[in-house]
Amino acid sequence: MIELQKLSCFYEDQTILENISQKFPKHLSILGANGSGKSTLAKALCHLTPYRGIILLDNKRVERYSAKALAKKIAYIPTKLEFYDEFLTVGEFVLLGRFAHKESFFDYTQKDKEIAQNYIKLLGLQHFSRQRLNSLSSGETALVLIAQALTQESQIIIFDEPTANLDPKNAKIVAKHIKDLKQTHQTVLITHDIHLAHFINNPVLFLKNKTAHYFEEYFFTDENLSKLYDVPIKSLAVQYD
Amino acid sequence: MIRLFIWFVLLSILLISPFLGAVDLHLKDIFHSSSLSAQIFYELRLPRVLFTFFAGTILALSGLLFQTLFRNPLMTPYTLGISSGATLGAGIAIKLGMGSLLFGIGAVSLFGFFGAMLTIFLLLYLSQFLRGSQQSSLLLLGIALSLFYTSALMLIFYLGNTVQNDMLIRFTMGSLSIIGWNDPLLLGLIAALLTLAIYAYRFELQLLGISEESAKLKGVESKKVTLWLLSFASLAIGVLVSISGPIGFIGLIVPHIVTKIYPLTIEKRIIKTALFGGFFLVLCDTITRALPTQSELPIGIITALIGGPFFIYLIISRRQ
Repeated sequence: MIELQKLSCFYEDQTILENISQKFPKHLSILGANGSGKSTLAKALCHLTPYRGIILLDNKRVERYSAKALAKKIAYIPTKLEFYDEFLTVGEFVLLGRFAHKESFFDYTQKDKEIAQNYIKLLGLQHFSRQRLNSLSSGETALVLIAQALTQESQIIIFDEPTANLDPKNAKIVAKHIKDLKQTHQTVLITHDIHLAHFINNPVLFLKNKTAHYFEEYFFTDENLSKLYDVPIKSLAVQYD
Repeated sequence: MIRLFIWFVLLSILLISPFLGAVDLHLKDIFHSSSLSAQIFYELRLPRVLFTFFAGTILALSGLLFQTLFRNPLMTPYTLGISSGATLGAGIAIKLGMGSLLFGIGAVSLFGFFGAMLTIFLLLYLSQFLRGSQQSSLLLLGIALSLFYTSALMLIFYLGNTVQNDMLIRFTMGSLSIIGWNDPLLLGLIAALLTLAIYAYRFELQLLGISEESAKLKGVESKKVTLWLLSFASLAIGVLVSISGPIGFIGLIVPHIVTKIYPLTIEKRIIKTALFGGFFLVLCDTITRALPTQSELPIGIITALIGGPFFIYLIISRRQ
């Protein structure tokens, strides 16, 4: 379980989030305008960016975890995968999810490889297994990232704008996977996509003006959305005229 | 098939190499332990070939390591100024006439080692202040340091006397003319340890080769691993440079050739790069000895003559 106590986050010299205290429910969607600090908050949860205040993960401060122990708790799926190693294959990439479970200095065990293979199959990626990562489309890469996160077998999965680069068909496939994963994992979904958030239907933390507003329910009403996003919204769609 | 052929050719060169040079030796000579040929073979040629092999291993592996940790194919101990740091350190020791030993280690080695370590820590410290396009800025920092070191070395030349300067000039050209077994044994130990250390961290490096963020998220203590591996490689480079002088561009060329032959993820290229680096430098050294010049060419000049254009090629091919 994640709990924030008086959390403040910064980007360069600017304060992005100020004094946020919030206990996360089992599943949570984080919404907010561009630059409202959604991704910064996610990165703070994974101890990737400095912050002030306290982030508790199962009643223990995030920075007290070793890197491996933290990886067993949280898997983070970025919007876009950036990588330097151009020769890495899909199979090798997914297997790296087992790193935190592996003995230092030793190879991945047969069991690790089986786990990775199973999730590759679950995501329907078996034909890509030997292909290079840089030969995949955005839609395929999104599925590979989910397979790797599952291979990590962590409690919590954070999705950072998972559908931002995807066409409607792939966005739907990914959305279905996210919904399914709510059965087995705690999830945090960060998104711009009101439709996606509505489909996943988690309680919502809305970030605005450096602070957070929590909605257990009744978030997706036209009135509420229009007020929060400062633009007329009707049936989950922006009114352009 | 083609891979096997390449390894076969390289291995053959390694085996033939000790017989080539100012005096060509014959196989039957080396079994008569009293002959001059046998003496040349066991005290000069064989140690030299082994020393060269280990030097190539260290240069190629540290090149691969730097490229992976900084995620940039232009990053090597040479391009980042770590070799120059070691050269300056060793140069200062030569200038001060410190041929003697300090705590059982040659003063030149010790100074070379400090030069290399100082440079890597300076770079890591300065890199904290970089933002945005960090990688290319770091490369520029390395080049700036190199230029600074070169000027400092020029100052030492200016202040030095003829004898010292002659030593210094030969040193900065890079030379593999060693005598006896102490240097090859020391370097062999360091090359083995470096290979072992990098191999032990092969999966950490595979993750760091994706991105630093990715490595952290999967459970790598990235700062610790990076610092420890960079320090160890710099130590190896420091010791090597203090014995042989700077030998440039091997760390740039060899990892690149190996990825052409084996387009695989870093984890599967470590041992191959180590071996190929050794073979490749032996090949370069054999060329310098086999060329019919008045005296043998310094190895640093050969590698720089090949490496300079290659560096330019890498920069251009990256832009496209």
